[in-house]
Amino acid sequence: MYISAILSILLIGSIIAFLTRTREQARIVAVTASWIALGLATIMFLNYDPSKGLNNFKEFYNWIPSIGISYHVGVDGIGLPMVLLTVLVSALCAIYAWGEKHRPNEFFGILLLMNFALTGVFVSLDFFLFFIFWELVLIPMFFFIGIWGGPRKDYSAIKFIIYTHVGSVIMLLGIFAMYHFHGKATGIYTFDMVTLLSAYSTIPLQGIWKDFIFASLLFSFLIKMPAVPFHTWLPDAHVEAPTIGSILLAGVLLKMGGYGLFRFLIPMIPNAHHFFVYAIAIFGLVSILYSPLAALAQPDLKKLVAFSSIGHMGFISLGVAASIAAGHEIPRIFAQSGAMFQLFSHGIITSVLFGSCGVIEHHTGTRIIQDLGGLAKKMPKFTFLMVAGFFASMGLPGMSGFVAEFSVLAGSYPQLPYFVIIAIISIPLTAAYHLWALQRAMFGPYNEYLGDITEATWYELTALLIWILLILALGIYPTPLFNIMRSTAGSLTSILPIGGIQL
Amino acid sequence: MPLEYYLLLSAILFSIGAYGVISKRNAIRMLMSIEIMLNSANINLVAFSSYNTPFSLTGQVFVTFTISVAAAEAAVGLAIFIGIYRAYKDIDLEKIATLKW
Amino acid sequence: MIDFRPFAYLIPILPILGFLLCLLFGKYSWRRGGMFANLTIFGSLIISLGILYNVYFQGMSFYEKSWNWFYPGIVFGIVVDPLSIVMVCMVSFVGLLIHIFAIGYMGEDPDKFLYFGETALFTGAMLGLVLSNNFIQLFLFWELVGLCSYLLIGFWWYKPEAAAAAKKAWMFCVVGDSLFLLGIVIVYNYMFSAPGITEPITFSQIFSSLETGVIPPPMLTLVSLLTLAGVCGKSAQFPLHGWIPDAMEGPTTVSALIHAATMVTAGIYLVARTFPIFMAAPNALWVVAIVGGFTALLTATMGLVVNDLKRVLAYSTISQLGYMLCMLGVGAAIGAYAVGYSIFHLISHAFFKALLFLGAGCILHGLWNIRSIKEMGGLRDKMRITSITMLIGALTLAGFPLTSGFYSKDKIIESAYEYGEIASKTGGLVHYLPWIFLIFGVFLTATYTFRMYFLAFTGKPKTYLAEHAHEPKPISSMIMPLIILAACSLIFGILTQTKFYDFLSTTFTTTTAYMSALNFEHLAKMGGNPYGLEHVETPLYIELLPTVFVFLGIGIAGYIYFNNRVDVGKYIKKGNPIYKIVWNKYHLDYVYRNLVAEKFIITLVILWDVFDLYVIDGVVNGISWLTVKSGTVIRRVQTGVVQNYATVILLGIVLLLTVIWYFGV
Repeated sequence: MYISAILSILLIGSIIAFLTRTREQARIVAVTASWIALGLATIMFLNYDPSKGLNNFKEFYNWIPSIGISYHVGVDGIGLPMVLLTVLVSALCAIYAWGEKHRPNEFFGILLLMNFALTGVFVSLDFFLFFIFWELVLIPMFFFIGIWGGPRKDYSAIKFIIYTHVGSVIMLLGIFAMYHFHGKATGIYTFDMVTLLSAYSTIPLQGIWKDFIFASLLFSFLIKMPAVPFHTWLPDAHVEAPTIGSILLAGVLLKMGGYGLFRFLIPMIPNAHHFFVYAIAIFGLVSILYSPLAALAQPDLKKLVAFSSIGHMGFISLGVAASIAAGHEIPRIFAQSGAMFQLFSHGIITSVLFGSCGVIEHHTGTRIIQDLGGLAKKMPKFTFLMVAGFFASMGLPGMSGFVAEFSVLAGSYPQLPYFVIIAIISIPLTAAYHLWALQRAMFGPYNEYLGDITEATWYELTALLIWILLILALGIYPTPLFNIMRSTAGSLTSILPIGGIQL
Repeated sequence: MPLEYYLLLSAILFSIGAYGVISKRNAIRMLMSIEIMLNSANINLVAFSSYNTPFSLTGQVFVTFTISVAAAEAAVGLAIFIGIYRAYKDIDLEKIATLKW
Repeated sequence: MIDFRPFAYLIPILPILGFLLCLLFGKYSWRRGGMFANLTIFGSLIISLGILYNVYFQGMSFYEKSWNWFYPGIVFGIVVDPLSIVMVCMVSFVGLLIHIFAIGYMGEDPDKFLYFGETALFTGAMLGLVLSNNFIQLFLFWELVGLCSYLLIGFWWYKPEAAAAAKKAWMFCVVGDSLFLLGIVIVYNYMFSAPGITEPITFSQIFSSLETGVIPPPMLTLVSLLTLAGVCGKSAQFPLHGWIPDAMEGPTTVSALIHAATMVTAGIYLVARTFPIFMAAPNALWVVAIVGGFTALLTATMGLVVNDLKRVLAYSTISQLGYMLCMLGVGAAIGAYAVGYSIFHLISHAFFKALLFLGAGCILHGLWNIRSIKEMGGLRDKMRITSITMLIGALTLAGFPLTSGFYSKDKIIESAYEYGEIASKTGGLVHYLPWIFLIFGVFLTATYTFRMYFLAFTGKPKTYLAEHAHEPKPISSMIMPLIILAACSLIFGILTQTKFYDFLSTTFTTTTAYMSALNFEHLAKMGGNPYGLEHVETPLYIELLPTVFVFLGIGIAGYIYFNNRVDVGKYIKKGNPIYKIVWNKYHLDYVYRNLVAEKFIITLVILWDVFDLYVIDGVVNGISWLTVKSGTVIRRVQTGVVQNYATVILLGIVLLLTVIWYFGV
């Protein structure tokens, strides 16, 4: 019942927030609803039983039985961290946005609606339900960019929605193909994920159809992640999106793509073409190397941060590819749980980064790195948190990003050694653009043209501080979360043929 | 008289009507052409009815319906054209192409 | 006496706790945070000395303990053996003295609490690094040390040079660190599946499996070289030494910490800690020896020409670290004792370098941060205690007989000669190179050290500030550490020497609960190293040579610079090509900054950005442009004339009927 409770609280909260009259009411509704959701998700986390897998917190009701659609929700070691991440980031966003002035009740309503849709994506175990949530996510995001966005908001909002929608449509075709062939072969027409995914290997199909189904899902997830070269919607969307929009976009929305890899593709891959293992690894590696080089050239702090996301998401693809390639069980599970952990860790790290960009923009009116300089003088506390966030993004040990990236690298090396060796090159480059940006924006003499700026507000500092503390906590003691992910990674890799896929 | 003759007449009337609908630029003429097409259909209805079921009047009853509907349609059509004429001072169909792309 | 070993984990935790306390309450506490930092590090020192007493005097066994971390085999743990014991004692002792000095030195700096927080964290990180029993935890603290150095070098962040220097330090280190990380990943790759291995990244298990060949020898060489890359970054060895001179932008106490106790010694410690791996890896130690020796000589020449007081000391640090690294390298012929010799120099270096830097801090404090030795002069009379302690430091650095620097450096040069003798029999005369590098390094070290000393302290004051320089009060937090360190520099060598070597050599050759004793002769055979083949007696003239060179160096420096006797400018013009090359740091900075960073990387990323915007995004926008364009063409079909639509409908019907008629229904 926990899952339905979370979903309904968020939906009802969203409606109430829309109906409120004043900013004060709206933000109290938003904070209350999202923190109740966070509390419930925490209880779920504490009561999670690794041995039960997807049956944890399972709920099943028939919805449209004639065509096999049901309300089927549940979480396992990948879904639960994602739910936790969603409600966590949204709850902190609600605090961070405490001072929102422009159309506040709609803002908070959309925030909760977004939270609702994202949570729905991560708990759905029915393809139809999943797809509804998957598409529903786009709508609040579209309005975030379209209403609260910057000067080119129309272009970016439309580019965002069309680009990701192309991916969704192709995924829908893949889902239909699976539904159809499964129904034809067994006589049972159902959209139930667990049934369809486990039957994927047994349905008699010509090779091309199996590959098509796989490729369609992969394509959709690669756009969502995003992997180079399907990434160009992301910098544009981030540059125009309001801060909260960016945090949710990079912090949670991108994770839908990574989540898709674990939920759908890994159970399917034994029967897909082996070529796909290489494809996923190459997409990951290209993203890892591409992002720091592109980020170094960006004059806009927020665009720089946007490119950093692409690189970090590349580690997820690399870890997934390594976890299905042939090799010993230990590093494969290590790589996969590392990739899962990267989903969570990047979600909170990137929130700090975008939150910092937002603070700078609110307080100085610009995000262009050249126009900043010496902000540490006026905003010492904020600078401290921002530097911590940047170092987390660079993968400093003791922070959550290192745990994830080390696991991916160490777990991938036995299967894909050359990929890891090349990926190492990205570490100095990543450090370079982070430090260079810090040096130009935060340190050095204060740029007097900025006028008299003030320290970040208490709500911004509080939200950032909580994020940083979480990053540290997960970097020093990641074990509880990591173990949950490891249990699921173990069960996912056990589906694969003995020893993984021969390359 | 064989059925074909009626059908031939009906086909000729339909073609004349269709030609009128397509080629006439004046709306009234187009409306008249539509009436001709409707009547060709009416002829078909009556002809088939009297040849297939000579002892029932199904086709004829249908035709009376059609005629009354056609009358109503003509009335609505003319009303629209009067409206168009008031707006454009013209009922040349090529000049009132505001639905164009 | 209580057993302190189970409390070893508190050694790094206490200063880290001090960091938190400084951050939270530092502003409001006594000496603005200095209290927390000093007390916590003092706590670490007590425990460290306690453990030293336990193990050395009471003969308790070594100690290792691991806690599971986030994945099976990935552990967190501490190791207490002679190597880590002497290191924690040194770090906490020297660190404490520097912290005491900083109470006075940092004065009324508004961010003093932050300073003490960061230095406490710095010390804690170094202590944690030393106590780590596995690669990953070591890497964690390794990077934490780097982070603190970044923060502290950039402590006066409003100075553009400081901000740039901090970035530079991190960038140089991260190049090495990423390679080191790759080395760790490779070790994990071979270790995780080996039989009987439960904790694949702990040193003890890696060492135990060396002889069984779990990691093939070529891979051992690769791992060693990748580790060496990390060492080159952190310990500022060629070719990654460029960050050290810039790092002088931080407060002088930070420089003292970085150079003596907490940062650059980490690299040497890492090689010492993983020495068995290097021993078993073919050719790895040879590279280590060459890198160390070459750096020692190269940076000594740079030290000859710079005029910045702190930078002279910085180059001397790199040079001395080169000696330590070279010592480990020539350990190919020495075996387990190499670690002892190297760490012995590390510790005596920690004493005299901390002394020299703190002395420099006193001078800077008295001269309002003038750093050029050309603008000092005659400080001997103005700053009496400083000048005496600095003289002791300089003598020790130069390796003057009976100071601790003499014993430690002498041993290194002797070992290098021994290595040359043994290894050249099979590998050619090129193996004498480390010894040649080092012996010339000795001469240069003595010269530049006393050039600095004589220019700063003798002669007439050259500026108004130098004339009115003053010293801190004798009984103050700034003078006491100087005296203590000077005493240590003088007596440490005489007192310990052989006992020290013997104690440290047991690190790897003692069977303990967690590791069986390593047989270095077997390891050397695996790596093709000459240890154990034969023993060479060093001739007397070779043993005396360093001493001769020391006197020669001091003599030349004294002849030229004492009381500014000779005007060097007459003989060496600014346009002298050799002088120019050395002055420009052999153009390495130019290559890194102008060629690699500005020309290559910046051009590359700009092209990359153009590619991203116009090619990749161009395709996306091109598709949308094509869609819109084709729409504008095709929409012309919608003429708006009803009759056209009717015609098309009619034609459609005709076509449909034809098709149906032709093909049948």
